[in-house]
Amino acid sequence: MSNDLRTAFGVALEGSHAEPEPASSSRGRRPVGAPPSKDTQLAIAIRQLVDRGDMEQARDLFSGLVEAHQRRASRIAYQYLRDASEADEAVQDAFVKVFAHISSYREAWPFEVWFTRILINGCLDRRKARARRDRWVVPAGDTGGPDDPRMAAGPSEASPEARVLARERRARLAAAIDRLDGRQRTVFMLCHYGDHTPREVSAMTGLNESTVRVHLFRAARKLRGLLGGTP
Amino acid sequence: MKNRGHHLEEERLFDSYLAVRGGQILDPPVAEHLTDCDACGERYAELTQFMESLNAEARVEADAIFTPERLRVQRQQITRKLEHLGHPARVITFPGRAARPYVGSSASRPGRRWIAAAAAAGLFVGVGTGFFFDWERAPGRRTGGVMARQTVLTAPAGRVAGEIEFARPDPSDEIRAFLTELELAGEKPRIQVLSAVDALTPHVREINLR
Repeated sequence: MSNDLRTAFGVALEGSHAEPEPASSSRGRRPVGAPPSKDTQLAIAIRQLVDRGDMEQARDLFSGLVEAHQRRASRIAYQYLRDASEADEAVQDAFVKVFAHISSYREAWPFEVWFTRILINGCLDRRKARARRDRWVVPAGDTGGPDDPRMAAGPSEASPEARVLARERRARLAAAIDRLDGRQRTVFMLCHYGDHTPREVSAMTGLNESTVRVHLFRAARKLRGLLGGTP
Repeated sequence: MKNRGHHLEEERLFDSYLAVRGGQILDPPVAEHLTDCDACGERYAELTQFMESLNAEARVEADAIFTPERLRVQRQQITRKLEHLGHPARVITFPGRAARPYVGSSASRPGRRWIAAAAAAGLFVGVGTGFFFDWERAPGRRTGGVMARQTVLTAPAGRVAGEIEFARPDPSDEIRAFLTELELAGEKPRIQVLSAVDALTPHVREINLR
């Protein structure tokens, strides 16, 4: 089971060098004549500023993009990595990479799609690196620290029993998602945790939109089977 | 619309769920079927509930970890990294204060370099002058010493020329001569600092007296 989006989907998803597909393909693109989204317009403005050498103003504008996307990005990265610190680093790296390569951004793709692609490639690289590391390192025991996802609980789950139940539920869900096929998992995460439409996921992964829907459906069916209908 | 025994297929239900989630309007025939067929309506509700609960669970979990404070710190770190983007790497100075005098002692400050050169020159001139005056003051002693040494090596009379055989002096005599020479040389020590050591050292004549 391959975790790598680049190999799993047979497309070049080089984070910082992500180039839009040829004009013949309309997957994941905004409809002809539709105005670019606010974020895309902002990214174009930042690119122009960087090209002019006005880095300070470009950074100021970019902080707006960071604020708009960081929560969703953190959620996606966390679901991929299941480690808060590593997810934090992955998000930071993705934003820095985006800014460093903003000159190569083309408005044919919405900014969100471009950014998410870079983020996911970074997460996949980290997963691979971790898998290599885990071959040699014996994992330490449960720390139970504040970053431990199993310790995290919503504000409504105040009682210890509720916390324990939530922890078990999340562990079960994480294990079930981990058992998904690489493509299914990626598509599922992007759709359900990243709040992307199948069309956007199609643009990110290079898969046909109908293929994305099939993967989503299979992922959901498998999860229902593994979790017994309830997460 | 594909029906299987007058019920919607799972895939169709899932597509409907995705359409609604994406803000699209549900296909009118599907919407009509879901309203009319209780079983399909129930299946659709179950599917929606399952998917939404997955989503909600993930949101709650991530939001509990990525609090507003944590996100603020994350933004700060991103800003800091962006500020250093494109800047060449800089050399960080060694933090210890104690290292400073050593680092720039003679190499970096020309004034100190001059002082060091003057001190070396003064030392050289002083040693040279001291040597010269001592040499002038006690020439006889040195020559006397050399002459005394020359007496040790004597050729016996009556030997044929070419068959010169150097006398093998008695080792004790040789040692004594050497020590005497040392003593003569050290009678007036050239280095004042060593005079104290010299005073403590027993002389050959004292040993002989014993």
